[in-house]
Amino acid sequence: MSIQHHLSDDTLLRHAAGRLNAGLALVTAAHLHGCAHCRGRLAAFEAVGGALLEMEAPAAMAPSAFSNVLARLEERPAPAPILRAPRRAALNLPPEMTLPPVLAGCDIGRWLWLGRGVRYSRVRLPWAPDANVMLLRVAASRAVVSHAHAAQELTQILHGGYSDSTGQYGPGDIAEHDETVLHQPRADEEGCICLAALEGGLRLDGWMGRVQRRLGL
Amino acid sequence: MLLAGYTAYTPGGAGWITAGKWTLLRGGVIQTAGARVQAGVSKHEAKFSMGLRGQTLRRGALLTPVDAPAPLDAAAQVRLLGLVASARDRQAFAMLFKHFAPRLKAFHMRAGLAETAAEELAQETMLLLWRKAGSFDPARAGAATWVFAITRNLRVDLARRHRGGLPEPLPEEDLSPSAETLRLEAERAERMRGALATLSEAHRRVIELSFFSEAPHASIATALNLPLGTVKSRIRLALSRLRDALGTEP
Repeated sequence: MSIQHHLSDDTLLRHAAGRLNAGLALVTAAHLHGCAHCRGRLAAFEAVGGALLEMEAPAAMAPSAFSNVLARLEERPAPAPILRAPRRAALNLPPEMTLPPVLAGCDIGRWLWLGRGVRYSRVRLPWAPDANVMLLRVAASRAVVSHAHAAQELTQILHGGYSDSTGQYGPGDIAEHDETVLHQPRADEEGCICLAALEGGLRLDGWMGRVQRRLGL
Repeated sequence: MLLAGYTAYTPGGAGWITAGKWTLLRGGVIQTAGARVQAGVSKHEAKFSMGLRGQTLRRGALLTPVDAPAPLDAAAQVRLLGLVASARDRQAFAMLFKHFAPRLKAFHMRAGLAETAAEELAQETMLLLWRKAGSFDPARAGAATWVFAITRNLRVDLARRHRGGLPEPLPEEDLSPSAETLRLEAERAERMRGALATLSEAHRRVIELSFFSEAPHASIATALNLPLGTVKSRIRLALSRLRDALGTEP
């Protein structure tokens, strides 16, 4: 199915600039992996970075700068640190579904109950332990409790799909929401599995919100 | 005759030699304390053979003025990167260093890094340029864009390590644009530069802040004393102006 919902200019520009936090950057990369259209746009925004670099007035380097670098040219690069194998809980994903390659180095926790028909699994990035990233799994035709966001949220659809007041989302689509959106996504008949990152915390409305606050989630 | 403020690079020798004064001798030979240079063709770039502390060094070193090095155009950058990749050409690397290192340093200082950190990042970027030159593909991006991406990733990685994160594993996959979006070529960065120059001050400011400020757009809005919606719409407008100017439709 072709992708209907792409990354916004705003998010893609911040990604090109290297200014997205690690969680949002991960979900952005997951979308880019499957979306040639957005990769082409990213290349244009990176060219903005190249142009800004070219336009910079040169700053004097230290007198030893060039000889320092010259002396290191034949140096062997530091060996890549040995990373421990990521910890993966058994997720029981649908057989036809694969996780995006950007998750390769991440720990993925087991499914935890978030609400009726809604589970989440914490995704931990060893390179950014404080990033707020999760897999969300919503059972067929179930709705996620109505919520708004303290800041930006990015959600990449990995499997199935959902609808809310902002539209219908299928595999490969990305949904961007900020603090202005209050929404209640409802999963399609196949259910929905997505990868989400939040810039701030999630604010739930109604009784779930009260539970959330009591649990200190 | 005296030439003030020129730098000579001696391959395999002492590296860059900057001298307050070079004396022009007969036959195009110029000398300073400890070094003697055969001046060559152009004002900015001269081939010479060099005697340094009694040693005769290889031909083909460079003579470039310290204060006003001629900026390398995009085609020259691509050609030099190709020489670094294919022939491990240190002279080509020296020219790229002269061009990019001071701009990289200025770029990071504008983004708020202290001078020592910016200097270090510029040097590390140049080292990576040497190591990764083989992966530069002029069909995918201009040289300056490629260098920008290297230094951006380096900065992000350093910032994460500073906060206690481990290095992010490098992606194995090739994220090159598909054939139909593959319209980047070496001139693109130059066209982009022209396009940026045509933006209004306000539009250019929001684009620059997106690149040079750690803050999300909400904080940019606060810094500029503008509503967030205005900042976002300015970014959208500025980007669409750039697209118009480039004649692309990403």
